[in-house]
Amino acid sequence: MKALGRYVTLFVLLCRVSLMRQMAYRPHFFLMIFGKVIRMVLLLLFFQAVFFKVEALGQWTFDQVLLLFATFHMVDYLMSITFQRNLSYHLPALIQNGNLDSRMILPVNLLFLSSLESIDMMDLVSFIPCLGLLAYALYRLGFAFTGLQALMYGLLLMNALMFLFAVVLIIATISFWTTQSAGLGRIFDDLTRIGRYPLDIFEGFWKFLFIYVLPLALIAQAPSQALLGSLDPGFALYAFGCSTLLVVLAVGFWKMGLRAYSSTSS
Amino acid sequence: MIRKALFIFRLVFLERSAYRVNFCLEIAGGILSILIVVCLWLAVYRFSGRAELGGFTLAEMITYLLGGGVINSFLLTTAENPETSQAIQEGSLSNLLIQPISPYWVWIFRDLAGKSFLGLIGLSGYAIIALFFTDLLVFCTDPLRLILFAVALTAAALLQYLIFEALNLLAFWIENTYGIRFTMRVILEVVGGAIIPLSFFPPMVQKAFVLLPFPYLVYFPMQIYLNKIDLAEILAQLARIAVWMAVLAALNAFLWRKGLSRYTAMGD
Repeated sequence: MKALGRYVTLFVLLCRVSLMRQMAYRPHFFLMIFGKVIRMVLLLLFFQAVFFKVEALGQWTFDQVLLLFATFHMVDYLMSITFQRNLSYHLPALIQNGNLDSRMILPVNLLFLSSLESIDMMDLVSFIPCLGLLAYALYRLGFAFTGLQALMYGLLLMNALMFLFAVVLIIATISFWTTQSAGLGRIFDDLTRIGRYPLDIFEGFWKFLFIYVLPLALIAQAPSQALLGSLDPGFALYAFGCSTLLVVLAVGFWKMGLRAYSSTSS
Repeated sequence: MIRKALFIFRLVFLERSAYRVNFCLEIAGGILSILIVVCLWLAVYRFSGRAELGGFTLAEMITYLLGGGVINSFLLTTAENPETSQAIQEGSLSNLLIQPISPYWVWIFRDLAGKSFLGLIGLSGYAIIALFFTDLLVFCTDPLRLILFAVALTAAALLQYLIFEALNLLAFWIENTYGIRFTMRVILEVVGGAIIPLSFFPPMVQKAFVLLPFPYLVYFPMQIYLNKIDLAEILAQLARIAVWMAVLAALNAFLWRKGLSRYTAMGD
């Protein structure tokens, strides 16, 4: 319990340091937030334009797609606020220039520090309009959900974050051997973006692939379906099992990577 | 000057191909994102049960998305010429100023070299994808249209350079220009017509968009390629692009002169 308290204190400290660093260029800070909000609005405009021409995408109406879109962006923001940039970009750079050494000797769990060293406060601010969008989607859907459905939604959101953390960690760990993993990171970014569309847009093999093999459905589709009351309980179990297994594998792979690390600093 | 330009082109091509595997994976990522959008539109046409949406048949839409994807991913949004603002902020502009070629020319050649390199790689990648959609592609065979398409594309690359360079030159006054460039890139993707043809937007929104230079980046070249615009209109639009380029070039020159007069750099 004492250790947990220490890590909470450390996390708060990392948040403060990140805020100070990012607020150093204030116009830049606010412009980035503006840009991110604009991006979301424009993507929304894109969906609106699509739904001008079509009533529904498979089983998904516009209001339901709005919920899916808001859910995807909530997960996406939570990921980029916390571990994504740290693992995808900062960790490979630390390995490349040998600066990981200085982190290794600190009296703190290296995976914790590598994942949360820099908290993206810009995305934290941009996250607020995303919550507004979720509220708007729920309003359009008439708040038609039960307490249990809401609980499942929350649990599946956390599960999606666990799944994404494991995938990002596996990709970042590869840089212990290659020193570069930005390319794989880019493919991962593009793949996860599939999650913001209803997977009904795919047919046959591709639909099977994105739901079960590369289970992108568990990022936003499964939580959204849980809230809409249309999620198959079997798939919910599959989603939880998948993420748990992947986290175990990712942590094991990270330990292997650490053993293979050889410093390059002078 | 041509020799210097060719030398810069060679240098940029060597730099860009340094991390080959990583680079190819990044390219694959860009192609993947376009494929996803293609799948989305295949579904939209399937579920709508209509042969034409927003004035585009399915074949025209797929061609638009793939063509627009090449232009957007490889020629436009990947090149924001950040070297300009970096040189100003870090003070390395001082070294560039004493060289026998203006830094402004170095930046423009480096930008065009980067775009050419990415464009060539992108084209080869998209050519592979196009093999899977041969039945759903529109091939332009009119040589005049192909020439006008190439002219519009070159104008788009220069226009994009001038827009971003003006933002980069603000580094003489502000400490970090990334926020402005990021916002502009986001706006360009939609207002330029990269992810959806502008004809899909409500008429009022379309009218507002055409007042800006952005539709000339993706939407206009693809309209030429898909034969959606007649010759007289193409020439009128090219004249408007020339005006935009003149205005932006003047703005760039003004910012460069004013910026240089207040530029200071310290260090050893």
